[in-house]
Amino acid sequence: MDPQQIELIKSFKPRRSYGWLWLILLAMILIAVGVAPWLVAGTTSSSAMLTMIISIPVAFTFIMLAFWFPSMRYELTRDELILRYGPVIKYRIPLSQIRTIRRRNLGLTIWSSIRFPGIALFKIPYSDVGDVKMCATSALNNILLIETQKEKYGLAPEKEEELVAAIRRRMEST
Amino acid sequence: MIPQIYIMAVITLVFSLALWGGLIYLFAGRTRRFLWLLVLGLPLSAIANLYIKQQVTIFIGQAAHIQPGLGLAAPLWFLAFKVLITPLVEELLKVSPLLLRPAWRMVVSRASALWVGLVLGVSFGMGEAAFISYAVAQNPDYASIPWYGFTGFMNERLMTCFAHGVMTAVLVTALQRRNRQLALLGYLAAVSLHLFLNMPVVLYQFQLISIELESFSMVLPLISFAIIFEKMRRTARGLGEYEDEKEIVYLQR
Repeated sequence: MDPQQIELIKSFKPRRSYGWLWLILLAMILIAVGVAPWLVAGTTSSSAMLTMIISIPVAFTFIMLAFWFPSMRYELTRDELILRYGPVIKYRIPLSQIRTIRRRNLGLTIWSSIRFPGIALFKIPYSDVGDVKMCATSALNNILLIETQKEKYGLAPEKEEELVAAIRRRMEST
Repeated sequence: MIPQIYIMAVITLVFSLALWGGLIYLFAGRTRRFLWLLVLGLPLSAIANLYIKQQVTIFIGQAAHIQPGLGLAAPLWFLAFKVLITPLVEELLKVSPLLLRPAWRMVVSRASALWVGLVLGVSFGMGEAAFISYAVAQNPDYASIPWYGFTGFMNERLMTCFAHGVMTAVLVTALQRRNRQLALLGYLAAVSLHLFLNMPVVLYQFQLISIELESFSMVLPLISFAIIFEKMRRTARGLGEYEDEKEIVYLQR
């Protein structure tokens, strides 16, 4: 990468949270729920096997998401903001398309992809603002909501005002 | 040694309380004022099963000269009655705590009716989990199963708590309108939903589906219940019964 371009990329960390613990806890519960019937009924029970076949891959997914938790960050380039989470999330927000930036609490719905206290990932429907592409260490409170013409994105940066100021500066300079 | 199902029942109750109590707290706008109602529904399942459903079924069976223990060989109308008695009795019993003045006084709006109903239903579901664990503990067939062999019980009871909550919320929301016809409609809707939820169990008991299919077919009613819950919540929200969140606007163009 061009050194000038590297200099232009500014990285922001999310707020600290224990969201990864929830992912581990859920994985452990799923493993317990999957393995326990198999331990009791053995390999001859089709329902015990089916439960294990369903729960173990889901548990593994949660463990992988917990493993990638420290990789969550927000990168500001010259013309876009990139939200990253391991290899599974890379949301690009062109600065020219940003219409609003606001901080607010979001309203819970029963539907969710990955949303636990301290972590929210992927597209999540919220009762008040609709679908939001989340990459945040908070599920509901103090979400920095960035709205473009097509999408809404949810962030939880540690240095929120610094990030907003940097975005504004880049928007003004382009 | 204590029956192993009781260990799983305690885990289930703790989980249910944390999950549904926590969600109700968040959904209702971070308020704890509905949570005391969680106590009221706890004994109702035992009352329904020990003192109402069983006695009514025996009474009707004796009146119609139907021998007990016939199983599927019983007349069709009696089988239908046995399927119907559970939702008919339980849906009525679940709202009975509203006869208490402090409970009824909380039903002041569509939103509060939703939360009161949800809490009463979840409470009933938790009591039902305790009662079922008691019933299972009386059966020697399950005595040799270790506590971790009852994870199916936990999964099913966790989900059923929510289902009971939604059914009761349907009825309490109708009662809140203070119109007899709407109340009757709400009751019939709750009974229909209960039948829908019980359908996989009924089909299994009638030997029409396997136990595996019965276990997994509960997913369909539960998704339907979640959709109904969201619909009711949005309606309540649409009526302006929620406060708007305060927000900071950094940029607008």
